[in-house]
Amino acid sequence: MTRKKILGSHVKRLLAGVSDHGRKHLTEVETDLIQTELLLEEAVEKLTASFMAIHSAVGAQQDTIDFLLAGGKPSVEESRRLTGMSGEIGAHVNSAITSMQFQDMTSQLIDRTLKRVSGLREFLGTLGAYGNEVQPETSSEEIVDLLGKMSIALAIQSIELRSTLRKAVNQQHLESGDIELF
Amino acid sequence: MAKTILAVDDSSSLRQMVAFSLKAAGYMVVEAVDGQDGFEKAKQQSVDLVLTDQNMPRMDGLSLIKLLRGLPTYQKTPILMLTTESSDEMKQKGRAAGANGWLVKPFDPQRLIEVVKKVIG
Repeated sequence: MTRKKILGSHVKRLLAGVSDHGRKHLTEVETDLIQTELLLEEAVEKLTASFMAIHSAVGAQQDTIDFLLAGGKPSVEESRRLTGMSGEIGAHVNSAITSMQFQDMTSQLIDRTLKRVSGLREFLGTLGAYGNEVQPETSSEEIVDLLGKMSIALAIQSIELRSTLRKAVNQQHLESGDIELF
Repeated sequence: MAKTILAVDDSSSLRQMVAFSLKAAGYMVVEAVDGQDGFEKAKQQSVDLVLTDQNMPRMDGLSLIKLLRGLPTYQKTPILMLTTESSDEMKQKGRAAGANGWLVKPFDPQRLIEVVKKVIG
Protein backbone atom coordinates (compact mmCIF):
# COMPACT_ATOMS: atom_id res chain seq x y z
CA MET A 1 0.00 0.00 0.00
CA THR A 2 1.34 3.44 -0.87
CA ARG A 3 2.10 5.95 1.89
CA LYS A 4 -0.80 8.11 0.67
CA LYS A 5 -3.25 5.18 0.86
CA ILE A 6 -2.08 4.20 4.35
CA LEU A 7 -2.54 7.76 5.52
CA GLY A 8 -5.96 7.96 3.89
CA SER A 9 -7.06 4.72 5.52
CA HIS A 10 -6.01 5.96 9.00
CA VAL A 11 -7.75 9.30 8.51
CA LYS A 12 -10.88 7.45 7.38
CA ARG A 13 -10.77 5.15 10.43
CA LEU A 14 -10.35 8.10 12.78
CA LEU A 15 -13.17 10.11 11.25
CA ALA A 16 -15.47 7.07 11.25
CA GLY A 17 -14.68 6.49 14.94
CA VAL A 18 -15.35 10.12 15.86
CA SER A 19 -18.60 10.06 13.90
CA ASP A 20 -19.74 6.73 15.31
CA HIS A 21 -18.95 7.44 18.98
CA GLY A 22 -20.19 11.02 18.75
CA ARG A 23 -23.48 9.95 17.19
CA LYS A 24 -24.08 7.23 19.79
CA HIS A 25 -23.50 9.63 22.68
CA LEU A 26 -25.59 12.39 21.14
CA THR A 27 -28.42 9.92 20.51
CA GLU A 28 -28.36 9.05 24.23
CA VAL A 29 -28.39 12.76 25.10
CA GLU A 30 -31.37 13.23 22.80
CA THR A 31 -33.22 10.23 24.31
CA ASP A 32 -32.61 11.46 27.87
CA LEU A 33 -33.79 14.97 27.01
CA ILE A 34 -36.95 13.68 25.33
CA GLN A 35 -37.65 11.48 28.37
CA THR A 36 -37.06 14.47 30.68
CA GLU A 37 -39.47 16.55 28.64
CA LEU A 38 -42.14 13.83 28.76
CA LEU A 39 -41.81 13.49 32.55
CA LEU A 40 -41.88 17.26 33.08
CA GLU A 41 -44.95 17.72 30.87
CA GLU A 42 -46.83 14.96 32.65
CA ALA A 43 -45.77 16.23 36.08
CA VAL A 44 -46.97 19.76 35.38
CA GLU A 45 -50.25 18.45 33.97
CA LYS A 46 -50.90 16.14 36.94
CA LEU A 47 -49.73 18.59 39.59
CA THR A 48 -51.97 21.29 38.11
CA ALA A 49 -54.92 18.88 38.22
CA SER A 50 -54.13 17.90 41.83
CA PHE A 51 -53.79 21.48 43.04
CA MET A 52 -57.02 22.52 41.30
CA ALA A 53 -58.81 19.55 42.87
CA ILE A 54 -57.40 20.38 46.33
CA HIS A 55 -58.42 24.01 45.89
CA SER A 56 -61.92 22.97 44.88
CA ALA A 57 -62.30 20.53 47.80
CA VAL A 58 -61.00 23.07 50.33
CA GLY A 59 -63.39 25.69 48.88
CA ALA A 60 -66.34 23.33 49.25
CA GLN A 61 -65.27 22.53 52.82
CA GLN A 62 -65.08 26.25 53.63
CA ASP A 63 -68.58 26.79 52.18
CA THR A 64 -69.93 24.11 54.51
CA ILE A 65 -68.08 25.58 57.51
CA ASP A 66 -69.49 29.05 56.69
CA PHE A 67 -72.97 27.53 56.47
CA LEU A 68 -72.54 25.83 59.87
CA LEU A 69 -71.13 29.00 61.47
CA ALA A 70 -74.17 30.88 60.23
CA GLY A 71 -76.30 28.45 62.26
CA GLY A 72 -77.34 26.25 59.35
CA LYS A 73 -78.19 22.62 59.92
CA PRO A 74 -76.49 20.33 57.39
CA SER A 75 -78.54 17.79 55.54
CA VAL A 76 -77.59 14.09 55.71
CA GLU A 77 -75.99 14.43 52.28
CA GLU A 78 -73.96 17.50 53.37
CA SER A 79 -72.80 15.76 56.56
CA ARG A 80 -71.70 12.74 54.53
CA ARG A 81 -69.86 14.97 52.06
CA LEU A 82 -68.10 16.85 54.89
CA THR A 83 -67.01 13.60 56.52
CA GLY A 84 -65.59 12.29 53.26
CA MET A 85 -63.83 15.52 52.38
CA SER A 86 -60.68 14.78 54.35
CA GLY A 87 -60.28 11.51 52.47
CA GLU A 88 -60.88 13.28 49.17
CA ILE A 89 -58.20 15.88 49.92
CA GLY A 90 -55.85 13.11 51.08
CA ALA A 91 -56.30 11.29 47.76
CA HIS A 92 -55.42 14.45 45.82
CA VAL A 93 -52.37 15.05 48.05
CA ASN A 94 -51.24 11.43 47.44
CA SER A 95 -51.62 11.94 43.71
CA ALA A 96 -49.57 15.15 43.95
CA ILE A 97 -46.85 13.32 45.91
CA THR A 98 -46.58 10.70 43.16
CA SER A 99 -46.32 13.43 40.50
CA MET A 100 -43.77 15.47 42.46
CA GLN A 101 -41.31 12.62 42.19
CA PHE A 102 -40.56 13.85 38.67
CA GLN A 103 -37.77 15.86 40.30
CA ASP A 104 -35.90 12.76 41.44
CA MET A 105 -36.12 11.14 38.00
CA THR A 106 -35.44 14.20 35.86
CA SER A 107 -32.49 15.26 38.00
CA GLN A 108 -30.91 11.82 37.43
CA LEU A 109 -31.51 12.16 33.68
CA ILE A 110 -30.08 15.69 33.60
CA ASP A 111 -27.07 14.60 35.66
CA ARG A 112 -26.44 11.77 33.20
CA THR A 113 -26.71 14.20 30.28
CA LEU A 114 -24.31 16.67 31.90
CA LYS A 115 -21.75 13.93 32.54
CA ARG A 116 -22.06 12.79 28.93
CA VAL A 117 -21.65 16.32 27.58
CA SER A 118 -18.61 16.77 29.81
CA GLY A 119 -17.22 13.44 28.53
CA LEU A 120 -17.78 14.53 24.93
CA ARG A 121 -15.91 17.77 25.64
CA GLU A 122 -12.95 15.71 26.92
CA PHE A 123 -13.29 13.51 23.85
CA LEU A 124 -12.99 16.56 21.57
CA GLY A 125 -10.16 17.89 23.77
CA THR A 126 -8.20 14.68 23.17
CA LEU A 127 -8.77 15.08 19.45
CA GLY A 128 -7.47 18.66 19.59
CA ALA A 129 -4.44 17.74 21.73
CA TYR A 130 -3.31 15.04 19.30
CA GLY A 131 -4.07 17.37 16.36
CA ASN A 132 -1.71 19.98 17.84
CA GLU A 133 1.13 17.48 17.64
CA VAL A 134 0.92 17.49 13.84
CA GLN A 135 3.37 20.09 12.52
CA PRO A 136 4.15 21.06 8.91
CA GLU A 137 7.43 19.14 9.15
CA THR A 138 5.83 15.98 10.64
CA SER A 139 6.47 12.98 8.41
CA SER A 140 3.72 10.77 6.97
CA GLU A 141 4.87 7.84 9.15
CA GLU A 142 4.61 9.97 12.25
CA ILE A 143 1.15 11.18 11.23
CA VAL A 144 0.01 7.58 10.63
CA ASP A 145 1.34 6.62 14.06
CA LEU A 146 -0.41 9.61 15.66
CA LEU A 147 -3.70 8.86 13.92
CA GLY A 148 -3.56 5.28 15.21
CA LYS A 149 -2.96 6.50 18.76
CA MET A 150 -5.82 9.01 18.43
CA SER A 151 -8.25 6.35 17.27
CA ILE A 152 -7.36 4.06 20.17
CA ALA A 153 -7.47 6.86 22.77
CA LEU A 154 -10.86 8.08 21.56
CA ALA A 155 -12.33 4.57 21.47
CA ILE A 156 -11.18 3.95 25.05
CA GLN A 157 -12.56 7.30 26.23
CA SER A 158 -15.90 6.61 24.55
CA ILE A 159 -16.21 3.11 26.03
CA GLU A 160 -15.28 4.39 29.50
CA LEU A 161 -17.89 7.11 29.21
CA ARG A 162 -20.56 4.63 28.17
CA SER A 163 -19.75 2.21 30.99
CA THR A 164 -19.93 4.90 33.69
CA LEU A 165 -23.28 6.18 32.44
CA ARG A 166 -25.55 3.19 33.00
CA LYS A 167 -29.18 4.19 32.60
CA ALA A 168 -30.98 4.02 35.95
CA VAL A 169 -34.19 5.78 34.95
CA ASN A 170 -36.37 4.16 32.30
CA GLN A 171 -39.70 5.61 33.40
CA GLN A 172 -41.61 7.40 30.66
CA HIS A 173 -44.63 8.20 32.83
CA LEU A 174 -45.42 9.17 36.40
CA GLU A 175 -47.59 6.17 37.19
CA SER A 176 -46.66 4.53 40.48
CA GLY A 177 -44.09 1.77 39.98
CA ASP A 178 -44.18 -1.97 40.56
CA ILE A 179 -43.88 -3.46 44.01
CA GLU A 180 -42.32 -6.84 44.62
CA LEU A 181 -41.84 -8.47 48.00
CA PHE A 182 -39.21 -11.22 48.10
CA MET B 1 -45.07 2.86 70.63
CA ALA B 2 -44.71 3.97 67.01
CA LYS B 3 -42.40 1.91 64.85
CA THR B 4 -39.34 3.64 63.42
CA ILE B 5 -38.40 3.63 59.76
CA LEU B 6 -35.03 4.68 58.38
CA ALA B 7 -35.54 6.44 55.01
CA VAL B 8 -32.35 6.69 52.96
CA ASP B 9 -32.31 8.81 49.81
CA ASP B 10 -29.98 11.46 48.40
CA SER B 11 -32.93 13.45 47.05
CA SER B 12 -34.17 15.76 49.81
CA SER B 13 -37.58 16.18 48.16
CA LEU B 14 -38.01 12.42 47.94
CA ARG B 15 -37.03 12.01 51.60
CA GLN B 16 -39.55 14.67 52.56
CA MET B 17 -42.32 12.94 50.63
CA VAL B 18 -41.50 9.54 52.11
CA ALA B 19 -41.33 11.01 55.62
CA PHE B 20 -44.59 12.93 55.13
CA SER B 21 -46.40 9.79 53.96
CA LEU B 22 -45.04 7.54 56.70
CA LYS B 23 -45.57 10.07 59.52
CA ALA B 24 -49.17 10.58 58.37
CA ALA B 25 -49.65 6.83 58.87
CA GLY B 26 -48.26 7.01 62.41
CA TYR B 27 -44.66 5.89 61.92
CA MET B 28 -41.56 7.63 63.21
CA VAL B 29 -39.04 8.43 60.50
CA VAL B 30 -35.27 8.86 60.64
CA GLU B 31 -33.81 10.35 57.46
CA ALA B 32 -30.38 9.69 55.93
CA VAL B 33 -28.84 11.40 52.89
CA ASP B 34 -26.94 8.39 51.50
CA GLY B 35 -25.85 4.86 52.29
CA GLN B 36 -22.97 5.98 54.49
CA ASP B 37 -25.22 8.27 56.53
CA GLY B 38 -27.87 5.52 56.65
CA PHE B 39 -25.36 3.03 58.03
CA GLU B 40 -24.21 5.46 60.73
CA LYS B 41 -27.81 6.26 61.75
CA ALA B 42 -28.76 2.57 61.78
CA LYS B 43 -25.86 1.88 64.16
CA GLN B 44 -26.82 4.80 66.41
CA GLN B 45 -30.41 3.68 66.89
CA SER B 46 -32.32 0.53 66.20
CA VAL B 47 -35.01 0.85 63.52
CA ASP B 48 -37.88 -1.46 62.56
CA LEU B 49 -37.58 -1.03 58.79
CA VAL B 50 -35.06 0.38 56.34
CA LEU B 51 -36.31 1.96 53.13
CA THR B 52 -33.43 2.79 50.83
CA ASP B 53 -32.71 4.23 47.41
CA GLN B 54 -30.09 2.51 45.21
CA ASN B 55 -28.08 5.17 43.38
CA MET B 56 -26.57 7.57 45.90
CA PRO B 57 -23.19 9.26 46.37
CA ARG B 58 -20.62 7.77 48.77
CA MET B 59 -22.53 4.51 49.30
CA ASP B 60 -25.32 2.95 47.25
CA GLY B 61 -28.31 1.01 48.53
CA LEU B 62 -26.96 -2.48 47.80
CA SER B 63 -23.74 -1.75 49.68
CA LEU B 64 -25.76 -0.40 52.61
CA ILE B 65 -27.86 -3.58 52.73
CA LYS B 66 -24.76 -5.79 52.69
CA LEU B 67 -23.20 -3.80 55.55
CA LEU B 68 -26.42 -3.83 57.59
CA ARG B 69 -26.85 -7.56 57.12
CA GLY B 70 -23.39 -7.97 58.60
CA LEU B 71 -24.55 -6.40 61.87
CA PRO B 72 -26.18 -8.82 64.34
CA THR B 73 -29.00 -6.32 65.06
CA TYR B 74 -29.96 -6.00 61.39
CA GLN B 75 -29.91 -9.61 60.26
CA LYS B 76 -33.70 -9.92 60.43
CA THR B 77 -34.78 -6.28 60.03
CA PRO B 78 -36.89 -5.79 56.90
CA ILE B 79 -35.14 -3.75 54.22
CA LEU B 80 -37.00 -2.43 51.20
CA MET B 81 -35.48 -0.78 48.15
CA LEU B 82 -37.26 2.30 46.79
CA THR B 83 -35.56 3.20 43.54
CA THR B 84 -35.99 4.23 39.91
CA GLU B 85 -34.15 1.02 38.96
CA SER B 86 -36.59 -1.51 37.60
CA SER B 87 -34.53 -4.19 35.83
CA ASP B 88 -34.77 -7.83 36.87
CA GLU B 89 -30.99 -7.90 37.09
CA MET B 90 -30.96 -5.16 39.73
CA LYS B 91 -33.85 -6.76 41.63
CA GLN B 92 -31.90 -10.01 41.68
CA LYS B 93 -28.87 -8.19 43.06
CA GLY B 94 -31.06 -6.64 45.73
CA ARG B 95 -32.48 -9.96 46.73
CA ALA B 96 -29.01 -11.51 46.87
CA ALA B 97 -27.78 -8.64 49.05
CA GLY B 98 -30.58 -9.25 51.53
CA ALA B 99 -33.40 -6.90 50.54
CA ASN B 100 -36.93 -8.04 51.41
CA GLY B 101 -38.67 -6.13 48.66
CA TRP B 102 -38.33 -3.80 45.72
CA LEU B 103 -40.48 -0.72 45.12
CA VAL B 104 -40.05 1.13 41.84
CA LYS B 105 -40.37 4.92 41.90
CA PRO B 106 -42.49 6.91 41.66
CA PHE B 107 -44.30 5.59 44.73
CA ASP B 108 -47.94 6.07 45.59
CA PRO B 109 -48.17 6.97 49.32
CA GLN B 110 -51.16 4.72 49.93
CA ARG B 111 -49.48 1.71 48.33
CA LEU B 112 -46.28 2.46 50.21
CA ILE B 113 -48.15 2.45 53.53
CA GLU B 114 -49.90 -0.80 52.60
CA VAL B 115 -46.56 -2.47 51.94
CA VAL B 116 -44.98 -1.08 55.12
CA LYS B 117 -47.96 -2.30 57.17
CA LYS B 118 -47.68 -5.70 55.57
CA VAL B 119 -43.99 -5.90 56.42
CA ILE B 120 -43.84 -4.44 59.94
CA GLY B 121 -47.45 -3.99 60.93
